[in-house]
Amino acid sequence: MPGVALSRWTMSYFAAALAWLVAAEALMAAGFGYPAAPFEAPETLVLVHIITIGWLSLLMCGALFQFVPVLVARPLYSDRLPLPTLACLLGGLIALLAGFLRMTTETGASGAPFAIASILLGAGFALALWNLGRTLWAARPLPLPARFVVVGLFSLAATVLLGIVFSLTLGGLATAAHAIEVTTHGLPIHVVAGLAGWLTFSAVGVSYRLLAMFMLAPELDGPGTRGAFYLGTAALAIAIPGGVAAICASGNVAVSLVAASLPGLAAAGLYGRDVVHLYRARKRRVIELNSRMAGVALAGLGATVATGIALLAAGAFVRHLGVVVFLVAFAWLSTLGLAKLYKIVAFVTWLECYGPVLGKTTTPRVQDLVVEGRAGKWFVLFSTAVWCGAGALAIDRPFIFRLSAAAMLIATLGIAVHLLRTRRLANVAPTLRIPKGVQPPHLLVCRAQHP
Amino acid sequence: MTDDETERFAGQIRDALRNVIDPELGYNIVDLGLVYAVTVEDGGVARIEMTTTTRGCPATEYLKSGARDAAWNVPRVEFVDVALTYDPPWTPDMMTDEAKMHLGIA
Ligand code: HEM
Repeated sequence: MPGVALSRWTMSYFAAALAWLVAAEALMAAGFGYPAAPFEAPETLVLVHIITIGWLSLLMCGALFQFVPVLVARPLYSDRLPLPTLACLLGGLIALLAGFLRMTTETGASGAPFAIASILLGAGFALALWNLGRTLWAARPLPLPARFVVVGLFSLAATVLLGIVFSLTLGGLATAAHAIEVTTHGLPIHVVAGLAGWLTFSAVGVSYRLLAMFMLAPELDGPGTRGAFYLGTAALAIAIPGGVAAICASGNVAVSLVAASLPGLAAAGLYGRDVVHLYRARKRRVIELNSRMAGVALAGLGATVATGIALLAAGAFVRHLGVVVFLVAFAWLSTLGLAKLYKIVAFVTWLECYGPVLGKTTTPRVQDLVVEGRAGKWFVLFSTAVWCGAGALAIDRPFIFRLSAAAMLIATLGIAVHLLRTRRLANVAPTLRIPKGVQPPHLLVCRAQHP
Repeated sequence: MTDDETERFAGQIRDALRNVIDPELGYNIVDLGLVYAVTVEDGGVARIEMTTTTRGCPATEYLKSGARDAAWNVPRVEFVDVALTYDPPWTPDMMTDEAKMHLGIA
């Protein structure tokens, strides 16, 4: 059916992402990587990339394949590319992890896995960028939320390029002076481009639209919102290309990071103001679980920024970098991701199964596919565990950190069971569940149905 | 048809459109104010002008075809034309009081 925007492979991305999240939490609960190992240790690099590529980037890519078309009211450039893209990303991630693990062996010969990782991750992310880029390019002029996503995609390109330079250098394959310099000093740029540019900036863009949509709040594109966009973009430009230039010129990246932090904080402040406005101006008094949990995630972002500033002021930022990275990944991005996942899975499943019979027979509502009361408990456990974990890291209590990670793992499994039930239509009243002519949904693939 | 009959016919179509729900809000599209106009012409031609809560909504095509199918089920309807418009854009103020109450909207 023309114009029906169901992204075929998005559910596969979500399933793979959740599996990696579960793996990461199990490793943290088992005491693998930071804090038991140093922050720069290969074990920590394994953990960090399971979380950032396996969980967060796959989640974000799957969500963008579904939501960029909504943001720009145009179909996705290709609905087939996401599958080879996913295969490349999964293969590349496994090779990258193998490369990190090889670094811990005696020979440390990690050249081959790092080379494979660079090719596959480079190809996978390039395919995702091409697909989303063509979709966005065809929709110019872009609405403000989509422009945030564009900047996020540029940041992803930078993150991956830097990651490839690091991998090839660590693997002994790149020996150019600038490659070694960038690897020695460029780590903060890779981290900022990945966490702040790619994951946070894209999430911010999508959140403007989704919050307005799900809470019936006015769409914002006034001076404050534009200010957040331009200041945030300026901050990323100073930190990323500016940072690389600074390294090549003087070998020092600190100046550009400090310079970027000012517009960056101003952008965060403006975004915070917009978010408060969206929640206040919402027409829907009683909001759904996903919007409540998004609120918790946004408060988590605020608290993370505040923690970062406090640590900087106390001169303890570098020592506690692990806490900040953990908070960005879990209190902000993962909490938001799980909350939106809960909604998107229900919404997409509804479209797939009941959209085609709308008007022909009685259909359930999207809300009938979920049981918020029971799912809500797992979300509360997840958030509580995340903050306990962050506290345990801050006061150096590795055992409490592992317990917190175990609680996060249990909560994630609980949420995953709910997502599975939603996808299986298990919460829908039996009389409404499978109307005539409708096929039960496949777990991992979305198909437009024509009864 | 007399004006009265036309009015009644359009009313029947509106009633039929109440079988189409907006999946997100879980309420029928008529009382949500998403149906801007229903007009009928001679020969059982029904013209429906409607919108969606948000532009680019992934359910758009389904809402359109759902409205068409629902109208088609009304006796004497021979042809249905569903036009989508975003002018004016939908606002929650366009809902009936019952719909607002159902959704807990201030
Ligand atoms: C897509 C989002 C990504 C994010 C958010 C991200 C994040 C990070 C973070 C936080 C670190 C520092 C971890 C630590 O020191 O413990 C790091 C290091 C590293 N990343 Fe990534 N990364 C991403 C993608 C990639 C990709 C695609 C590659 C390779 C192709 C890569 C290769 C590396 C390497 C080799 C290091 C270690 C650098 C060194 O120790 O000198 N990363 N990354």
